[in-house]
Amino acid sequence: MEAERFGCIIVGGGIAGLSAAMVLARHEVPFLLIERGAYSGAKNVSGGVLWGTDLARLVPEYWNDPNAGFERFVNHRRLTFLDEQSAFSIDFKSSHYDIPPYMGVTVLRAVFDRWLADKVQEVIDRSACADASFLAFDVLVERLLVEDGRVVGVEAGGERFYADCVILAEGVNNLLTRQIGLQAEYVPADHMAVGVKEVLRFDRRVLEDRFQLSERSGMANEFIGAITDGVEGGGFLYTNRTTVSIGLVLGMADLRRKRKKPYELLDRFKTHPVVADMIRGGEVVEYSAHVVSTGDMRAMPRELYADGVLVAGEAANLLLNAGKAIQGMDFAMHSGILAAETVLEARRIGDFSAATLRRYRERLEQSYVLQNMRNFQAAVRLLHEPVMYERMPRLVCDLGREFFRVENRPAPKLRQILRDVVRRHSSLPELLKLTYRAWKAL
Amino acid sequence: MTIAERLGKVNYRNQERRDARPHILVDTNICNTRCPHKATTYVCPANCYTLDEQGHVHFQFEDCIECGTCMYACDQGAVSWHYPDPEQGRGVNWNYG
Repeated sequence: MEAERFGCIIVGGGIAGLSAAMVLARHEVPFLLIERGAYSGAKNVSGGVLWGTDLARLVPEYWNDPNAGFERFVNHRRLTFLDEQSAFSIDFKSSHYDIPPYMGVTVLRAVFDRWLADKVQEVIDRSACADASFLAFDVLVERLLVEDGRVVGVEAGGERFYADCVILAEGVNNLLTRQIGLQAEYVPADHMAVGVKEVLRFDRRVLEDRFQLSERSGMANEFIGAITDGVEGGGFLYTNRTTVSIGLVLGMADLRRKRKKPYELLDRFKTHPVVADMIRGGEVVEYSAHVVSTGDMRAMPRELYADGVLVAGEAANLLLNAGKAIQGMDFAMHSGILAAETVLEARRIGDFSAATLRRYRERLEQSYVLQNMRNFQAAVRLLHEPVMYERMPRLVCDLGREFFRVENRPAPKLRQILRDVVRRHSSLPELLKLTYRAWKAL
Repeated sequence: MTIAERLGKVNYRNQERRDARPHILVDTNICNTRCPHKATTYVCPANCYTLDEQGHVHFQFEDCIECGTCMYACDQGAVSWHYPDPEQGRGVNWNYG
């Protein structure tokens, strides 16, 4: 039997792979997408907020679809500093964000990716490639086929499939990216983190009342401080339709150094008095974990393309947490789109060598993805310094406690409170230095 | 909530299969002879790596939730990590993700 040949093979049916697939389907390029899960999302875990408006490019006016796979749009942001007893939050909510296209939507991947895959299939079905493009599930790609140093296809489920070019959207554990030497075979823990998460189910009314949600609006809350017991990292809580996603992202090297168990730290987070009040009555319906890059560009593959191959999404460790938001899924979507657009360009030229595929790197460099990652590397490094997740949150909480304390005796002036609080947790020179660094980094 | 209760919420594939093929191979000789930290026994979110009373490392793949943590946390070359085979392996089927 002659091996099948496609215009493009996409490895991975997560957000990066499906976004690439949507672009190829729209342009009637025959492709094969191979997903190892039984359905898109079966193997995917995220925090998860999908930021930005790229989704509206892929699925126009998705907000009008009553079955759209997102949970809630985010119009309420909160960043919370914690010590053992207190929480001091920066809180912003605005109906400005209520108007589509939304700035961000919360998602549960087993729901969202599955819906997005259905949307891709709809586009395929309406196209001239209805019988030539396929989404294949439950199939594991075992290895890339390389001939004369060029990727020519994949071996999957014991069969060989050939294509002009392969897009690797295999996720963070990028074994195929490693197979062809774009990333070292052993990736050390230094710039990697592990996320642990629970999905808590609530009665919908309880959820909406507790978090002040209207019809489809939602909240994204990040946390930093004592909850991680001195381990680098932080927490998150996102509201879904009838559930809450709550979890921690922990620096893996620091976790190893401090000999902590991630699920015990998750217990610590959930039993923090302020957090416990937020999640009371929620029933755990799923526990999951996922490795993520810390956003340090040293975690990225040495290159994102080679002859006949492109790397997109988390396989390329495209991720950023510079204190404002944890961006990963939007990077996956954008890089998937750019990878597919590069394939379209390569088809026009008729060349899939690295010389043409380097246009993918150029597109990424010009896009907000690599621009943000480059511009905010100093912030990533600053945020991962112990002072930022240990003493600063304590300082902020101490300030809150003293400022909001009302007693039946003469009260100190704010400047006195500030002086005492700074002295207890830091020093003026240190604080000025950090402020200067933050000023430059952010 | 204990880790066992948490893992009880995970929808594993091929649960009925007794002879599921392991997707991670661990050379516990390395763990037990020269590893200075045995980090997998505490960083693994699914507690697949455990210590016995003699301080020896044991590994089972059945509870693995495919996160990949051990592949990075082990810097001794003891962990050989693959994706589970859809038919013959274990691994997860997330309901929420």
